[in-house]
Amino acid sequence: MSQKMLLPNGFKKIGWFFLVPSAVLGFIRMISDLEQRLSLKTKVFALYNGEFLSSEKQFGVINTDITNTVIGTVFILGALMIGFSKEKKEDEFIAKLRLSSLLWAVWVNYILLLLAFIFIYGTGFLSVMIYNMFTVMIIFIGRFNFILFKYKMSTPNEK
Amino acid sequence: MKNNLKVERAIHNLTQEELAQKVSVSRQTIHAIETNKYVPSTILSLKIAQIFSKPLEQIFTLEEAD
Repeated sequence: MSQKMLLPNGFKKIGWFFLVPSAVLGFIRMISDLEQRLSLKTKVFALYNGEFLSSEKQFGVINTDITNTVIGTVFILGALMIGFSKEKKEDEFIAKLRLSSLLWAVWVNYILLLLAFIFIYGTGFLSVMIYNMFTVMIIFIGRFNFILFKYKMSTPNEK
Repeated sequence: MKNNLKVERAIHNLTQEELAQKVSVSRQTIHAIETNKYVPSTILSLKIAQIFSKPLEQIFTLEEAD
């Protein structure tokens, strides 16, 4: 049966090349103060730009640091390619595992977010919001690959 | 849903891999069906029945819980 809305299997590998470096860079940026040293200031088109204590701007060219933009974009593209590419041998059972992993990931993600909502306050919550932009895909990829691995392991060799 | 895929495979002398290739799924899928971890779609069930040249009901049967 054909699987709609999935990329060809080859994208999976490309996805990892996107995801790993951007995840490492992004994480380093989160935990250390690389903001000043690692910056890519350039002119970009913005639909909206609102800055603290200054006027907001719509539909204009602004001059800003795009490091986060680049890291985030590459990460999201990588995660989409890994999560939504066909397996080498794609079939209906794998499609079912994929969808149930996605459901599981959304549940876990929102339970974690709910706990963070209730128990984390102030600037700490800002970090929660940043991480939460990426956690659904991370949890999904982790869960799906774990389930696939488990099934591969539990299928005994023949003869 | 119960099934006697394993028995039918033995009768036709097919390995899981061979059956999997005939109905173009992975071997894990055949294994998951045989161990009742996965209920195949109607399309896949019909394909399997076709391979064994038997009516569907002789391979897949409903259980009390279904």
